[in-house]
Amino acid sequence: MARTRPTEIRELGEAEAIRRAQQGDAEAFERLYRLHNRRVYALCLRMLGNTAEAEDLTQEAFLQLFRKIGTFRGESAFSTWLHRLAVNVVLMRLRKKTLAATSLEEVTEPDEDVGGPRKDIGGPDLRLSGSVDRVNLERAVEQLPPGYRSVFVLHDVQGYEHNEIATIMNCSIGNSKSQLHKARMRLRELLQEFARDRAREERQAAKGSSGGSH
Amino acid sequence: MSPTQCAQFERILEEQPDGPLTVDAAAHMKGCADCRLLWSDMEAIRTVAMEWGGQEVEPPEYLWSALRRQLESEGLIRGSIRESSQGSWLSAWFGAAPRWALAGASISLLLIAAMLAGYQKNEPNAAAQIPMRLSISVARPKLVAADLGKALDGDLKQVFDSLPEGNTVLTSSLRENLGIVDNLIAVCEQSVREQPDDPMARDYLYGAYEQKAVLLATAMDRSALEGR
Repeated sequence: MARTRPTEIRELGEAEAIRRAQQGDAEAFERLYRLHNRRVYALCLRMLGNTAEAEDLTQEAFLQLFRKIGTFRGESAFSTWLHRLAVNVVLMRLRKKTLAATSLEEVTEPDEDVGGPRKDIGGPDLRLSGSVDRVNLERAVEQLPPGYRSVFVLHDVQGYEHNEIATIMNCSIGNSKSQLHKARMRLRELLQEFARDRAREERQAAKGSSGGSH
Repeated sequence: MSPTQCAQFERILEEQPDGPLTVDAAAHMKGCADCRLLWSDMEAIRTVAMEWGGQEVEPPEYLWSALRRQLESEGLIRGSIRESSQGSWLSAWFGAAPRWALAGASISLLLIAAMLAGYQKNEPNAAAQIPMRLSISVARPKLVAADLGKALDGDLKQVFDSLPEGNTVLTSSLRENLGIVDNLIAVCEQSVREQPDDPMARDYLYGAYEQKAVLLATAMDRSALEGR
């Protein structure tokens, strides 16, 4: 195995690294990998919620990238191209996983509302502010349909702009915004459900402990 | 507040999920507790998501190793194009050198270590007393590879002449390990022929010669000890 020379690798610019990787240069491949691996891995991890799968798909995304790097002509940003590949491999995996459990419509729905309970305007709401934490948010994100999950993770977690998401996901900017809103609405519902479940459990625990004391 | 206005508020959120709110929507929210709640919940989700995204995640280092192996197996990696650099040559060399050559280098060093260990076990203080009988110099800048090779071949004869006739184990071990080191030298010589201007290639060749020299010197010292 070749030794890594971090200093030299860091010095190589992205454009030069792409050019050299197109010629099969090992250092250039490593440079490109190290430039983008954190963001791609984070994306995979946050969309899948599973370390082993995130590693697997990070590798798959880079592999696909490097297999096609000879065709890259620089018309689009390299990172956008890479992240589109990454999102696609993740979506493919999610679709495979979700198909077994849910309908295709729910997995791929582009515009329709998810089937969950819609916000009942005027009904009893649980205020999330102050009670939503990262653990619950992660749990809720895992339950989002893949399309919503992708847009939410890309925008709210990874910090992409809607125009970037539109390019990555091959949709319109309006569609990206709409999907984001719906994702947040679904998350709100899920988080409210979690909060209700927690409140119920606490009540039962309190009841149990007060009953036990008599 | 009327459900129509609340539905309109939600539609505005869908169109501009990150704001800013229109004047009408802002005015509606001011007077509608449900829509205020909706807005504040969206803000809470955004805030926690942003915090989540701010946490750095580092992929494990073995991911690159696995990826590189895969790229190599598919023939996508073809070494470094900066062949004149020392590091790239090193990488290419390690990638291209036959396993036996690397093993040879390791084995010869092990042999030397074993010889020295046996020698020191028998004669703890002898090391300082025995002069180096070989006239080998590994002052790399002064010697060219061919000269060093010839010098070593001359020393080789001297070493074999000095070996005790009865010690077939030492003789055969030396021959075997010399064969391995010679193979390593052959690989390095080929690299120098292919890349004559590469200082790293020359360094490796000198290194291989040096190994041979040390092996011969150790063998001579060992035979001197046994001949006493």
